[in-house]
Amino acid sequence: MSTAPEVSSARARAVQMAEAMAMEEHSLWHDAARQFIKNRLAVGGLIIIVVFVLAATLGPYLAPYDFLDQEIPNALQAPSREHWLGTDELGRDIFSRLLHGARTAALLGFSSTAVGLLIGVAVGTTAGFAGGRADQFLMWFSDLVQSVPGLLLAMLVNTTLRRPIGRWFDAMYEQTRNPAYLNTLWLDYVLVFGALTVIGWPGQARLIRGLVLSLRETDYALAARAVGAGRLRIMTHHIIPNALGPTVVSTSAGIGGAIVNEAGLSFLGLGVQPPNASWGSMLNRSLALWQSFPHLMIAPAVTIGIIRIAFIFCGDGLNDALNPHQRKL
Amino acid sequence: MGRYLIIRVGRWIASVAIIVFVTYAMMFYGAADPIKRMFMTRNESDKWLDQLTIDALREKYGLDKPFPEQLKNYVSRLLVGDWGNSFAESNRPVWDMVRAKLPISMQLGLAATVLITIVGIPLGVLAALCHNHWPDAAIIGTISFVNGIPQFVTAPMLMLLLVLGLHVLDVPYGWKGLFDQQVILPVVVLSLGAVQGVIRQARVGMLEVMSADYVRTARAKGLPERLVIMRHMLRVVLIPVVTSIGLTMITMVNGAIYVEKIFNIPGFGSLTLNGLNSADYPVIMASVLVGTLIILVSNLLVDLIYPLLDPRITHEGHD
Repeated sequence: MSTAPEVSSARARAVQMAEAMAMEEHSLWHDAARQFIKNRLAVGGLIIIVVFVLAATLGPYLAPYDFLDQEIPNALQAPSREHWLGTDELGRDIFSRLLHGARTAALLGFSSTAVGLLIGVAVGTTAGFAGGRADQFLMWFSDLVQSVPGLLLAMLVNTTLRRPIGRWFDAMYEQTRNPAYLNTLWLDYVLVFGALTVIGWPGQARLIRGLVLSLRETDYALAARAVGAGRLRIMTHHIIPNALGPTVVSTSAGIGGAIVNEAGLSFLGLGVQPPNASWGSMLNRSLALWQSFPHLMIAPAVTIGIIRIAFIFCGDGLNDALNPHQRKL
Repeated sequence: MGRYLIIRVGRWIASVAIIVFVTYAMMFYGAADPIKRMFMTRNESDKWLDQLTIDALREKYGLDKPFPEQLKNYVSRLLVGDWGNSFAESNRPVWDMVRAKLPISMQLGLAATVLITIVGIPLGVLAALCHNHWPDAAIIGTISFVNGIPQFVTAPMLMLLLVLGLHVLDVPYGWKGLFDQQVILPVVVLSLGAVQGVIRQARVGMLEVMSADYVRTARAKGLPERLVIMRHMLRVVLIPVVTSIGLTMITMVNGAIYVEKIFNIPGFGSLTLNGLNSADYPVIMASVLVGTLIILVSNLLVDLIYPLLDPRITHEGHD
């Protein structure tokens, strides 16, 4: 019989094909990374973000001066070799203050987005899986939060929580005698963090609920259920991996937005209070002097703009890389 | 439609009621003492206001009452159109303050809306007509760039460029009416934050409509391209664009707060900021309510107008 060689050659071909497929098989993340690296704007954005995070963590060691050091005789100097970006109205080095402001922005931007994401995941998955009344209630509630203009809500939270949280800080100091509780810097941070979290979570909750609802109904989730996979397995093997892409993208956008909102609140004089450094409050103080000393205004404004755009480009790159099926027209 | 309307309006009223309650509670338990704010920060010599005067003032403003009673008083007066009197501005009725300041912000917002309409729609159409060519890429690239930058950054940068750099404008400061040249920068800054929605909507709508059969028919019967665009494509595209303009309201309300601070415009945004800074409960309440009502009313209008403009959309399937 001459079938044996045929079978073996067919088998060989199958093995060959399988090997070829194995070589071309990439994980989602591998593909996404390749796609992302091809996008030059996104990589540029990512590099700026990395520099920003480094500046935030290492800032105090890199800064040429202490961000609180006042040299009144040297006030309002234009950029020079000693002071790279000049000095402000109290003779403080602007570059050092920008570095310290990066710390404020990064700390609040990342932490409030992370907590907002946690709340969003909790609310979104509950709403998506429970359905019915619970779903209606949770979505109505997040709609309600979103129907107050975000900035107004943040301002309200920031102002009205100052006194109760300040009192709580005082009480904690009385109990523990830990001087950290007397530091108003931390009080400002807690307040802005709270305000940013309150306005951040509804968007995440909405996104995650939508993902749960749509992914639950996909053919592959149905197929998994048909072959007897349990809820947990469908969750961990089918829903979470596919929900990660959009969530990563929205989180990246959320961090950029939170950084801008922190600067905005501080710009309005509500967020991080002087003498602590925030890009927003630096911009606020420059409003009085910008006509004679434009360098006071340029430094923080350009920094906020660059960081925001870096997050947008990075987010767009992530979106194209992780959600290839929903690329825009 | 009737049932849908009732459900919508019912939910709407519930939302407003909850917002009133939560805002009032937050202020009552959180905000600084308005009496102390009023008399101890403005004037240093009044710092040691004696307790008797403080108590008298408290009674005068009804601040000595417990929370439920204060809330009840506030709401019952609100229902008959009395927004209360300002604490900080010598007992001025809040309604008068809102009536004096809101129109300024409305005029700014309206001017910005007109600007984004007359600039946004043509740009979106242009981008769609040049799909996959450089004008499309340039327009989309620019708006994704501009859109992200917050108003409190664009405004200073434009001021530096136009006032200090090119000397084409005076320093914009204060409010001298809608037709003063000082309005230019605030309106441009407000529009920059909101124009991208209109451009994107117009572009995507045009791209969808371009391959429609009736557009091909119009071309086939020999209609000049200009008329194909104006009569057959734009008309369809305008519906979602008009509604997307309604949705830019949230950007306008948020933007007004920044823009009015930067340019010292005595509008609704500065009313809000001053109210928060002086713990002026009735003013804060009014700001949050008006801000939220603007958003809620524009969302409701968009929802209600949409089916009138586009008969394919009904609300029968909802809820």
